[in-house]
Formats: sequence, C-alpha cells, structure tokens
Amino acid sequence: MELMKSENIVQDRQPQPQEEEEIMQQEEEEQRFHVLAVDDSVIDRKLLEKLLKASSYQVTCVESGEKALEYLGLLHHSSPASSSSQHHHQGHKVNLIMTDFSMPGTSGYDLLKRIKGSSWKDVPVVVMSSENVPSRISMCLEGGAEEFMLKPLQLSDLHKIQAHLLKSLPHS
Amino acid sequence: MDLVQLQRQFVDYKTSLYHEGFLDEQFTQLQELQDENNPDFVVEVVSLFFEDSERLLNELARALEQQSIDYKRIDAHVHQLKGSSSSIGAQRVQKVCIAFRNYCEEQNVEGCLKCLQQVRHEYSLVKTKLESLFQLEQQILTAGGSIPIFSRVTKLLKGIYLLSSLSLYHIFSV
Repeated sequence: MELMKSENIVQDRQPQPQEEEEIMQQEEEEQRFHVLAVDDSVIDRKLLEKLLKASSYQVTCVESGEKALEYLGLLHHSSPASSSSQHHHQGHKVNLIMTDFSMPGTSGYDLLKRIKGSSWKDVPVVVMSSENVPSRISMCLEGGAEEFMLKPLQLSDLHKIQAHLLKSLPHS
Repeated sequence: MDLVQLQRQFVDYKTSLYHEGFLDEQFTQLQELQDENNPDFVVEVVSLFFEDSERLLNELARALEQQSIDYKRIDAHVHQLKGSSSSIGAQRVQKVCIAFRNYCEEQNVEGCLKCLQQVRHEYSLVKTKLESLFQLEQQILTAGGSIPIFSRVTKLLKGIYLLSSLSLYHIFSV
C-alpha cells in the first residue's frame, strides 16, 4: 500500500481496499444485534454463545455479575457519560442482556437491579435459571426482567429472544 | 466391519443410550447446534463437561472429608453439576444430583456420601458411553461415511426397541 502523501489531503479520498473491507465489517457488526451473556458455568456459556451465534447475533460472554458490571461500566457506581444512542455507552452497544440467576457473588437478580437503576435501564434483560421457582420468577419480572427462561435453553427459545431484540429497536 | 454395519451399530448404540436414560433430548439439541462452521461442537462441549465434572467431584469428595461439613458449599457444587449435566443431556447424572441436593438440605452426611458414590458411578458410565459413541462416529467418518441423522428416528426406534426382545438389548449394550 503506497502512501500517496499529496493526494491524502483531498476531502473525498477513496478508501483503500483494505480499509473499505474493515469499514464494511464494522458496519456489519454494528447492524447485528449484540447480546451480553452472563453465566458462571463454562458449559452454559458455550451453549448460549452457539445458540445466539446460530441466529447471527454478536455475543459477548462473561463469567460473573461483576464482570458484566465492569463491561457495562457500572462497577464503581459511576454513571458512564451519556451518549446519543440509547444502547451505546463506552463504545459498547448492547441490545440484550441474558443472565443466569444463581451465580456466586453478584447474582442475576442483583445484576438486573443494578442495570435497571442505571443508564442501561432500557436494555431488555432476560433471566435464566435451571429451577422453576414461581416466587423467583415473579421477583425477577417485578425487578424489570423482560422474561424468565428455563435452562437448558433450546433452539426453539430463540424466537422469544428475537422478539425482545426487535422490540428494543429505536422507534423512528 | 463395513460402513453400513458401522452405521447400524451407531444408530442402535445411540438409541440404547436414550432408551436407558443416559442421554435425553438435550443431547439432541447439542447436535442440532453443530454445523459445518463448528463440526466439533458436541465433542467440545462434552469435553468441557468432563473437565468440569471431574473438578466438581474432587471438590465434593474433599468437602465431605472435612471435620465440619459445609453443606452450603456442597450444595453449590452439586447445583453446578446438576446444571451442567442437564445442559448436555446427561440425564442419569442429573437425577442423582437432585437426590444429592435433598440430602444436603437435610444435612445428612450418610446420604450425601451415598450420593457422591452414585454420581461418580453415573458420571463414569456416561463418560465411557459418550467416548464409545464418539469413537463410532470417528470410525464411520474414517470409512468415508456420514453420521446418520438421528432426531426423528429416535422416537420410532424407541418404540421398536420396547417391543423387541431382551436378547437384542444385550447384544447392543456395551
């Protein structure tokens, strides 16, 4: 790739082929939904990641509530600087958060409450659990969770996830 | 053994694993997630399960050896094992975990020790069987064949299995 020094100054310089590909990749990524998945089980993280990628979603998996808070910039109780778009903070775009309920340290419920009390509050949160406990389910729904899903998740559950993602799209 | 025989053996073996409760529908889900982009997905997840389970079983043994038993800690480990076995469809392991958790709640050390022994046993059974299953798959692929797709066939074969004689059952169990 030669440096065309004098021609660089031109305002509408055509991007080099390599740059163009990178730009396209970036744009493609930004168009895809991004899901933040939180689970302390390495097996469940792998499964969830595959399930979500099967729907062409971008996925970030973290192993704890603390790591999720860190990712969202909420770890030290500081609110991230507000930015133009609803779901963009700290350069991260998150369209959906899926979290396991029972995790050591910060539980899925704790995480849910923190998220709902922050600038990320409009991002839908789905809580997952291997246990079907009605009081737990209502507690999460009352805490602001969009949905409570029973593990193990299956391909047939994907349509529910998609529905939440589509709902989260900004209204024109 | 020729390819067709291998494939037949594979289907029969796999059917028996479902029939005997070693595997459940969740294992089928894993296979449905596997594709050309990730052809080793099932093996990878199952390997993670093996590693994780062995770690948990060791932790459980250690925890039950303590002078003063921490039942909360034991319950947490069993909960994890129950979850991961459920996620891959290792039904018999999952079932023992349910009983195990009940004993934890009762703080019954005898019950817990019994369950630990049982869960170890079920784990080692399912591990051996899954390894045999993967080995059969490899043999089929090496012989240039394709792995028979299974999901809808399972239910039909299950029915046939129930009707077939016990002697056939013995031939195909490894």
